[in-house]
Amino acid sequence: MGVLGRKYWNPFVETLPREKLNLIQIKNFRKIFSYAKEHSALYREKHQGISPDDIRTIEDIRRIPLIDKEDLRRAQAGKEPFPFGELLGVPVEEVSTFRQTSGTTGTPVYVPESWESWQWRVEVWCHILWMAGFRETDRVFVPFGYNVYVAFWEGHFAAEKLGCTVIPGGALDTKGRLNKIQELRATALLNTPTYGLHMAETARSLGLSPREMGIKRMVCAGEPLPDATRKRLEESWNAEVYDHIGGTEPCAWGAMCEERKGLHIMEPYFLVEILDMETLSREVEEGEMGVAVVTPLGRRSFPLIRFNTKDVVRKGKADCACGRTSMMIQGMAGRADDLRKIRGVLFTPVSVEEVLRAEFCEITEYEIVVERKGIMDEISLTVEPEQETGEEVMKELMKRISERLKMKTNLRFFVRPVKPGTLPRYTLKSKRFKDCREM
Amino acid sequence: MIGTNDELLRQMKTKIDGIENLVHELKALGEGVPVIEKNTRCILSFTHTLTFGISDVAEVNNEGGEKIWEK
Repeated sequence: MGVLGRKYWNPFVETLPREKLNLIQIKNFRKIFSYAKEHSALYREKHQGISPDDIRTIEDIRRIPLIDKEDLRRAQAGKEPFPFGELLGVPVEEVSTFRQTSGTTGTPVYVPESWESWQWRVEVWCHILWMAGFRETDRVFVPFGYNVYVAFWEGHFAAEKLGCTVIPGGALDTKGRLNKIQELRATALLNTPTYGLHMAETARSLGLSPREMGIKRMVCAGEPLPDATRKRLEESWNAEVYDHIGGTEPCAWGAMCEERKGLHIMEPYFLVEILDMETLSREVEEGEMGVAVVTPLGRRSFPLIRFNTKDVVRKGKADCACGRTSMMIQGMAGRADDLRKIRGVLFTPVSVEEVLRAEFCEITEYEIVVERKGIMDEISLTVEPEQETGEEVMKELMKRISERLKMKTNLRFFVRPVKPGTLPRYTLKSKRFKDCREM
Repeated sequence: MIGTNDELLRQMKTKIDGIENLVHELKALGEGVPVIEKNTRCILSFTHTLTFGISDVAEVNNEGGEKIWEK
């Protein structure tokens, strides 16, 4: 195999010409579609008039209806077999792991995995970790109690499969976790971006330098990671920081390689379509934003056929310097659910994070609130500086932030500071955006 | 672009298929015996994974594939 045998987790598939990747995807789509129709009540009902033999091209696939989270909820609530309902693709006694979604957008969806499907998910994560440079010599610290949320379970099992030493860090507070990182000389972390920043901040408050704690690499999960935040984490920890994209239902379907310029779609484990936001019928062009519609092609316990993730991403191309031939996405705008119209302007909270993390490193935390004031919508930003400064300096800073946000979002923000330590700190997913117009 | 070794992949696919067949035979022999049932289930989950990364590639490759990977 030569030296390249160790660069890729699976050199055969990661450098396969695109036309062959596409053939494998179509073949496996037909297989999983056929399987889903045979084993899942949801798909038997939903795709009655469509035969797997009808599926030969991507155009045929586009004729199959999408499903979304509401479909999953309806197929599950009060339906047999308990508790997974009509989504289940295996006998219920074959379900070996229970996970559920976080419930941010409504009733959580229960996600069952058979042993086979779980191993399939873990295999995808092996790719993700290998691309991020995780190797057998790494000691991977996971600073979370995993509970029913899938994110770190997958990383944990994949790191074990790779041969890393995996140290679970639940049931410790942040200080305890920082002590453990030092005590065991951990070399890698799996965490949310929010918590990565929080740990760094806590370390500094304890007189420690996170840059000198020996962490070499970090994979982030659980929430969007704008590039500015990723670089801030890299600067804070003196480590390489990698992003990925996925969810409890569709699995992790995209991840960063060592180039760290965009995310590779994990082909051929998934068929990922990036469709126009207006009609969800047209594959967007390179550089265009679209909604990711994902079909995991090997996960049989919970088949998902053309699942609308509502993640809004920018389509890239398949020309990464790493040599992988998978299609890429360049940037994520966040979830379609997070997109808001404010005074006629389409707004995504991620745009604020991009500005603050890239240009205002003196700001440690922030909160965005949208309210209806009379007949107008008002958007305000509360920021927490790292240190208190004089009134004039603070006024000037607020003015600069407001101007930059206006340029970035086309919205006028009311920006105000609070004292250091005022805003809440989040350990899992942040809740920095509040739209009070809906309350 | 890095090429693939068709012969190597074909051989790997043959081995994977062989492992799968053997495990199915073992499973049949040990039906009703928990240690056999559960462990063969585990092994088959790994061969399922390998079909994605190896067998599928072997199948889709045409004859006369390019030389293996050198940069």
